[in-house]
Amino acid sequence: MEKHVWHGYMGKLLRVDLTAGKYSVEELDPVEMRKYMGGTGYAAKLLYQEMPGGVDPLSPEAKVVFSTGPLTGTLCPSGGSYEVCYKSPLTGTWCQARSGGSFGPKLKFAGFDFLVLEGKAAEWVCLHIVDGHVEIRKAAHLLGLDVEAATDRLQDEIDDPEASVAAIGQAGENGVLYACLMNDRGRAAGRGGIGAVLGAKQVKAIVVNGTGGIAPAKVDEFITAVEQAEENIKKYPFAAIPLMGTMCLLSQLNGGGMLPTRNFQTGNFESADKLSDEKLDRNYQIKRRGCFGCSFACGRYTSVKSGPFATPPMEGPEYETADMFGAMCSVSDLEAIIRANYLCNIYGLDTISTGNSIAFAMECFEKGILTVDDTEGVELRFGNTEAVIATIDKIVKQEGIGKLLSKGVKKAAEELGRGAEDMAMHVKGMELPGHEPRAESKILGLQYAVSSRGACHMHPNWSSTWEFQLDCGMNEFGQPWPPLEVPNESKTKGTAYRYVALQGEISEILGTCIFYSWGVEGICITPKLYAELLSSLTGWDVSPAELVTAAERSLNLKRCFAAREGFTRKEDRLPKRLYTEIPNGPSKGGKITSIEDMLDGYYEAMQWDLGTGLPTVAKLEQLDLGFAGV
Amino acid sequence: MAKEYRALMSKPELCTSCQRCALWCSLSHFGEMNKSRSKVFVIRREPAVDVPVTCIQCGVCISACPSEALSRSSSTGAVVVDEELCSGCGTCVVACPYGVMQIDPVTMLAHKCDLCDGAPECVKHCPHGAILFEKVSRVGLSRRELAARAESSHVRSRLATS
Repeated sequence: MEKHVWHGYMGKLLRVDLTAGKYSVEELDPVEMRKYMGGTGYAAKLLYQEMPGGVDPLSPEAKVVFSTGPLTGTLCPSGGSYEVCYKSPLTGTWCQARSGGSFGPKLKFAGFDFLVLEGKAAEWVCLHIVDGHVEIRKAAHLLGLDVEAATDRLQDEIDDPEASVAAIGQAGENGVLYACLMNDRGRAAGRGGIGAVLGAKQVKAIVVNGTGGIAPAKVDEFITAVEQAEENIKKYPFAAIPLMGTMCLLSQLNGGGMLPTRNFQTGNFESADKLSDEKLDRNYQIKRRGCFGCSFACGRYTSVKSGPFATPPMEGPEYETADMFGAMCSVSDLEAIIRANYLCNIYGLDTISTGNSIAFAMECFEKGILTVDDTEGVELRFGNTEAVIATIDKIVKQEGIGKLLSKGVKKAAEELGRGAEDMAMHVKGMELPGHEPRAESKILGLQYAVSSRGACHMHPNWSSTWEFQLDCGMNEFGQPWPPLEVPNESKTKGTAYRYVALQGEISEILGTCIFYSWGVEGICITPKLYAELLSSLTGWDVSPAELVTAAERSLNLKRCFAAREGFTRKEDRLPKRLYTEIPNGPSKGGKITSIEDMLDGYYEAMQWDLGTGLPTVAKLEQLDLGFAGV
Repeated sequence: MAKEYRALMSKPELCTSCQRCALWCSLSHFGEMNKSRSKVFVIRREPAVDVPVTCIQCGVCISACPSEALSRSSSTGAVVVDEELCSGCGTCVVACPYGVMQIDPVTMLAHKCDLCDGAPECVKHCPHGAILFEKVSRVGLSRRELAARAESSHVRSRLATS
């Protein structure tokens, strides 16, 4: 067979069998790559075909796929992304954790589009992947080190300060179910517990670097498309995100009564002005830092010089972290939030699940479900800033109340009983992030219910953008429009979500950051422009419609994966609290009455079965995914 | 009046280490996005170091070259490589005081910043204005400032700890 000349792809998959301590390199098939594009799409195909349903995600049988997309590592603005795809020990279903930094690009520069981990190492190991050379090295000496220390050590050992290190911290080693994987020190593949999965495989870290490059098939056309993208994003509608970081959302959402506060008991935090983006930038920011290839640089690099919450330089906090440790725990000290963010990053903890779990415990304490007997004598009430910091340590060390909280709010509530379930803000075991569907948008409520990884504001998209009147280039595909004329909680809103989800999924399969895709033609990167970038890069003539179809494959396969784990329409539901009124503040009275019509509308638009909410055999065959038919 | 050349100048405080300059540099020169073939180097170190390091066109390499392959362009002031004459011996790399002269890993010949014929891609595309293309008088001013600060850093560190 003639060797395929790849453009945009490195054309190789690296498979590491940890049990055997061996690895192999597989050539990718260009026909398959064009079918799935890459990223979560191809990862979903691999995981669906290679891992049977019902596998314990912490067992050697579980597989993990690190995926990049064709645009990863290129000049497409924010091609810095990779996604780790796996079965989550927190939720028991499909999970994907996206991260920026430079890990994804450097995996490609080292020669690989995908990295598959399987089995379990006999002793703790770290992987070195540099310019096509792969080594499985012993890592006993790294055990117990936090992410920063392990990163320092590994970069020193190979004398390469530019190598990208993805590492788990103590949280992953100790099996915290929402432990994350940190890369480049301050960037997180955050949600769902990939840190615990790697910990169970005894993989402490992965080091990547390489001198490879990515040559577009049609250089001039690619340059034109990139320059168009660069022009567009100068007019980006959420300009505050690059300028002030995602922290800009905190004041904005609070003003609308949309800031999840005290475990979603209200949407308005009285001390939000103490947690503003402006205060962070003025008092604590050292500089802005970006991911590889990103023009925005939403990342803040901060420190706290002195005081009880003195903190060395670290990336963050970003909005979600500030809401979770701030408003959710009723903490109004920005220095404490910076400290909490730092601790989560070095221990390797998902800040959303950590903050949400502590807020859950605080509400349980205030309602008498937890007492000082459960909390080592600590008054774990809302606003107890020191207790928040101390609880992070307990979670990592699995001590006292931390042991319970390290399992996430769903399992913790089941253990506690006595009505604790009503305070557990999660979908399918995934803790809710800092977006309030009762006030921000009902379509977000639908997204929380149906998103493949449980309650998520980002995968596959931030659906509120639709309600903000941003079509993101999807109107030409028949997206319901204008949103203001679509009745709330209606079937049509469910239909609209299909388009929002497909548009978001495009970033997931191409390896780009979703931030760039929000807007309208000319002020963001729409599917049309993504198709131009991809076509000139790969030399394939990919139409926007072909891109949408590939995105649809990815969404369908993830749904099939979830179905095999027992997740169907019955599990697409929201926590009870979201069906009650927000009691006060600017969004007073906001509530979700029902998501059933929206679910019907979404399933119908996806051509899924209304009763089960699953892809039909006909739909799967239409997408050339017959192998996933149940 | 004679033409005043322009030269590259960095503003590290604005750099976010996105590496777009390096990708544009290699794409425009070699048709591929490859950091290791770029002639602008963004150094990220911890904590808080993000510095675009560029060639200052000082010309030390010109006299070092045994093949007379290096010369100064009269139109841009850039020191440029004549690939016909270059033997790839690397003497210029040894001579370069800033570590920005390199033997390209593919052509195996000297490759350095040529200021893109007077319109540097790195400057054009930096999202944050962290690389500037300024008149040499302005560049000199800024470089003296940096040199003075670097020279006095040990004095300052003593002040801080006393």
